[in-house]
Amino acid sequence: MPDKSSKLVTLLFVLFFAIVLPAGHLMGIVSINTISLWGRYCCFAIAALGIDLIWGYTGIMSMCQAFFFCLGGYCMGMHLLLKATALQGQELPDFMVWNNFSSLPAFWQPFHGFVPAVVLALLVPAVIAFVIGFFVFRSRIKGVYMAIITQAFALGMYLLFLRNETKLGGTNGLTNFKAVLGFDLSSSNTKLALYFATVAMLCISYILCRKMMASKFGKVLQAIRDSEPRVGYTAYRVLNYKLAVFVVAAVLAGLAGMLYVPQTGIITPGRMSVTSSVEMLMWVALGGRGKLKGAIIGALLVNCLYSLCTSLFPEGWLFVLGVLYILTVLYFDKGFTGLFDKFAALLRSRRKAVVEGVPSPHAENTRVSHPAMARSSEGN
Amino acid sequence: MNTGIRLILCLLLSFLWLGTAYASDDKVGSCMQQVLYPQNDEMRAQALSALASLKPSSSVLRFLEAVNSNSLYLYKDKAVTLGSKKRNGAEDVYLIYQLYPEQMVLLDADAQPLMLPVTALQQVQISRPHRLLLAPLSSWIGIFSMDPQKRTMAYGQVRAVSDTMLINALPLALENETDASALRAGKEAWYALRLNNAASAQTAKLLIDSLETNGGDNATARLRAYAKKAGVPQEAAVYASAKADKLDNHYAWLQRVQHLFSGISLGSILILVSLGLAIVYGLAGIINMAHGEFLMIGAYATYCTEMLFSNVLHVQNSNWFFITALPVSFIAAGLMGLFLEWLIIRRLYARPLESLLATWGVSLVLIQTARTIFGDLTAVKLPDMLAGGWQVSPHLVLPYNRIFIILLTIVVVVALYGMLFRTRIGMQIRAVTQNRSMSACLGIDTRRVDAFTFFIGAGLAGLAGCAMTLIGNVVPDMGQTYIVDSFLVVVTGGVGKLIGTITAGLGIGIFSKVLEALFQAVYGKVLILLLIMIYMQFKPRGLFPDKGRIAEE
Amino acid sequence: MLLEVNNLSVSFGGVQALNLSHFQLEDKELRVVIGPNGAGKSTFMDILCGKTKPDTGEILFNGKATNGLTEVEIAELGIGRKFQKPSVFSSLTVFENMTLAARMKKDVFSSLFFRMTPAFKKRIVAVAERVGLAGVLDKQAGALSHGQKQWLEIAIVVLQDPKLLLIDEPAAGMSDRETERTGELLLELSKEHGVIVIEHDMHFVRQIANNRVSVLVNGKLLMEGAFEEVRNDQRVIDCYLGRANAQLEKL
Repeated sequence: MPDKSSKLVTLLFVLFFAIVLPAGHLMGIVSINTISLWGRYCCFAIAALGIDLIWGYTGIMSMCQAFFFCLGGYCMGMHLLLKATALQGQELPDFMVWNNFSSLPAFWQPFHGFVPAVVLALLVPAVIAFVIGFFVFRSRIKGVYMAIITQAFALGMYLLFLRNETKLGGTNGLTNFKAVLGFDLSSSNTKLALYFATVAMLCISYILCRKMMASKFGKVLQAIRDSEPRVGYTAYRVLNYKLAVFVVAAVLAGLAGMLYVPQTGIITPGRMSVTSSVEMLMWVALGGRGKLKGAIIGALLVNCLYSLCTSLFPEGWLFVLGVLYILTVLYFDKGFTGLFDKFAALLRSRRKAVVEGVPSPHAENTRVSHPAMARSSEGN
Repeated sequence: MNTGIRLILCLLLSFLWLGTAYASDDKVGSCMQQVLYPQNDEMRAQALSALASLKPSSSVLRFLEAVNSNSLYLYKDKAVTLGSKKRNGAEDVYLIYQLYPEQMVLLDADAQPLMLPVTALQQVQISRPHRLLLAPLSSWIGIFSMDPQKRTMAYGQVRAVSDTMLINALPLALENETDASALRAGKEAWYALRLNNAASAQTAKLLIDSLETNGGDNATARLRAYAKKAGVPQEAAVYASAKADKLDNHYAWLQRVQHLFSGISLGSILILVSLGLAIVYGLAGIINMAHGEFLMIGAYATYCTEMLFSNVLHVQNSNWFFITALPVSFIAAGLMGLFLEWLIIRRLYARPLESLLATWGVSLVLIQTARTIFGDLTAVKLPDMLAGGWQVSPHLVLPYNRIFIILLTIVVVVALYGMLFRTRIGMQIRAVTQNRSMSACLGIDTRRVDAFTFFIGAGLAGLAGCAMTLIGNVVPDMGQTYIVDSFLVVVTGGVGKLIGTITAGLGIGIFSKVLEALFQAVYGKVLILLLIMIYMQFKPRGLFPDKGRIAEE
Repeated sequence: MLLEVNNLSVSFGGVQALNLSHFQLEDKELRVVIGPNGAGKSTFMDILCGKTKPDTGEILFNGKATNGLTEVEIAELGIGRKFQKPSVFSSLTVFENMTLAARMKKDVFSSLFFRMTPAFKKRIVAVAERVGLAGVLDKQAGALSHGQKQWLEIAIVVLQDPKLLLIDEPAAGMSDRETERTGELLLELSKEHGVIVIEHDMHFVRQIANNRVSVLVNGKLLMEGAFEEVRNDQRVIDCYLGRANAQLEKL
């Protein structure tokens, strides 16, 4: 029963984003900016999938996912900026001219081509995650320690990217992109295409993650979350598993960042601040940890709320976000999907009661049936 | 009408003076008068040239310096210039020095030096061509400024050249020198000047020794310049460069001491912030991301205390507000901590990762609240007693505010240890930290212990915030700057180990400052992080890990 | 000789937790280790399975030294450990728990592309029947009773197909009925594996001690012998009585 309904939800979800929204645009109801906005949210959802893998399933709180996101973003940004510079007939991007660079730094060279840029956008986060993960997991840093170390790492990188010496545009980041693969970024067709690409990537990522988590690999990850020592004594090399999922999460974040940049037209170090990483965790916590759907819903929901709040009462956004953090942790431990499941279970038990001919279901009745139902839905 | 009469009178008078003044004093006076109230431009130019060509005297040179630096003013019809600056509330006030008729510091009704803002004075406008008449003196005339800082700078810029005027003027300036650092710079200039004109290698050596013992800022530069100069005896040149090397070495050492000192002071702040974090984490397994905001609350409590004292109670002495602010910030942050503990945090015990997220939310709300109430930037006045610094040697000044922070940390650490190891509540805290359920079974009211510990932890951060106002601005997100660092301290020190926290705080503080001195600040921070990560490879459980069964708890 | 230990010692913060001059175990032998609290029994197992690093001494498992190996390497050699506190993967089902444990290639890629075969499934069901968990295969491990968790952990260890099983207090918190079944299970296991059992419950020890019993006191081996021999030894009685443990007396 839950399987069937969840499939329906997935289908409706895909239908809405792949058909209803674009159709709305073609009919002139939905503006291209709204489409682009949702495209960006879908990027965040991809990154959230990665966070769910590492945090929700494996129980490792990584607070540098925003950094990996930005790595992917910067790789794509460098490519786009080089293309834009070439289109304008200049030799060097503007910020390099302002900073008196005489020539293009060597590490910018590979980003002239689109394919190398895409490959690097995935490879660079992967390699960095591998190195960091190797040292952190090898010394068995976990739990709180892991969270703090990765947070400090994200902070250090953020500070580094703020510098002009990093040759990545400093505080202002990379912007003024013109075209991707020869298509004008400001045209609505390109925007629509990018949106479709993002939705497609989100679906593919979701399916792959789902397959991964259903495999024995996913079960080992969950086992690590439950009892890491036991996994070791059962002859699994925990380090390798953690590394693998850390790298996968970083690649997902990189992919998201890569898709994000052409749609926003700017990438700055602000995106990788400690706050952004915590916010990313919050998407997943709010959507429901340990459920891939939860991660996606959380990312979309929080960002929707963000757009809504900042346009209605800009001063209040941090209040809303802060209170949301607190309430989620205190009262909705399983997040939005958990709440949904509980609600569905409640509904089902009522319907059952009605079918069985119990006149009016007492409050007690529902309370009794409720935990059992909740547990059975957890199992899925 | 009135001004017309005055003008005519002045003209008349000055004619008289010019005609009859034979004595040089009178001539000086008349020239000054002429500069202040010139008949015409020509006369003022003549008067200025006359003053500049007189035999140097400090009174004339002070006057000319005021002209040269365009800081000649009239105050109650007397010529005055500005002395040292002081900040009084929103505006700068200056010591007022009268140049003419007599030269003296002006006093107010209570016989205290008169302090006035520039707006209370009327500037004597002297055109640029007129000031250019003083060009021959302008390279060094600043040594007769009434502002000790400007004098120090002017002495430093005195070139060792054979200028008779300068050679005559410099001793005059030194004779009346009262400020220690200006005197040092002046002596240095004087020795260098004489060294430049030294006849024999013997004299030169003596002067070089004097330069070394005097220890001025530019001593090494002057010595090296001398050693390179053409026509200097070989022996003296070698001696000079050897002494310069020795001084450089000495200064490098002082520099290191200075870095060490700032490292210890940074470490002290880190310790103050981290102690609260460490005991709370040890006791309740809470990662309190809002801990930095208690620091912010402490800082704003200090700010409010200052406002209360200066705007409501009108207490002028700035020491009192700070002394009051210390307990106030402790209690304000502590009460806020109690409130949050009761409202949110007690539901999160022993769930560190969840508590991290929830307290991050708390931190966002608190920051935004502070921003709404206080705006983006405020600053607290430095109390008088902590202004300035302890001058250990000419090149080593340890600021009082930082010394205060270090002392405060020592007191806090001792008090905390006393509380934990000598009192009943301290023993209860240690008991609950080690085994919560067992403590509860033994009749310890764990809820009360938790609340008390949280109060202390938050209060300590508030105290740190109060101390922070001594060295920086008060901004809503000041806590976030420190929170990551403090967590690193807690992690490096080992969770729930006070001695580890203290060692790690000091270590990270000192390392940061030293690395920042060697590299740029940002790279220093990244390097520190790298070091900590490497260190965690070897000691993943901190500096002082538990072993055996205790380790498994 | 399955296991041979010489001059093993470890100390925590200056306290000698274990100082074992010699210990050996035959293949397919079931050895019960008893001793008062803090005698170093669990520490001994921790060292054997690689959780704790010894200060000195050597451990030969099948003639191969295990010093310096990681837990995983020791597990791969064929030493399985069941902990005092049951440690199972509480969010996975019993079946998944047992699938993870079963002997196979355990690297990341093999796990990613692992396919369940009917033969494999049969084997798991067989083990589940043996430990009495066949009826709850689809239940979440976290929802099992304490005794069931103990059995599940034993099943996890058995499925690894180790040559040596280290079993720490299997009967703790079990009813008499469950304890007896556990005893039968252990006896059965000892037909195929070497087994070391730590136990406090003397009824249970009498049930399973078909071979020798070792007594650890203060980190040292006090004596070794058949159960009756140990039970009547004055030193053993003294050291238990000295700690006000009347269990030996009662028998």
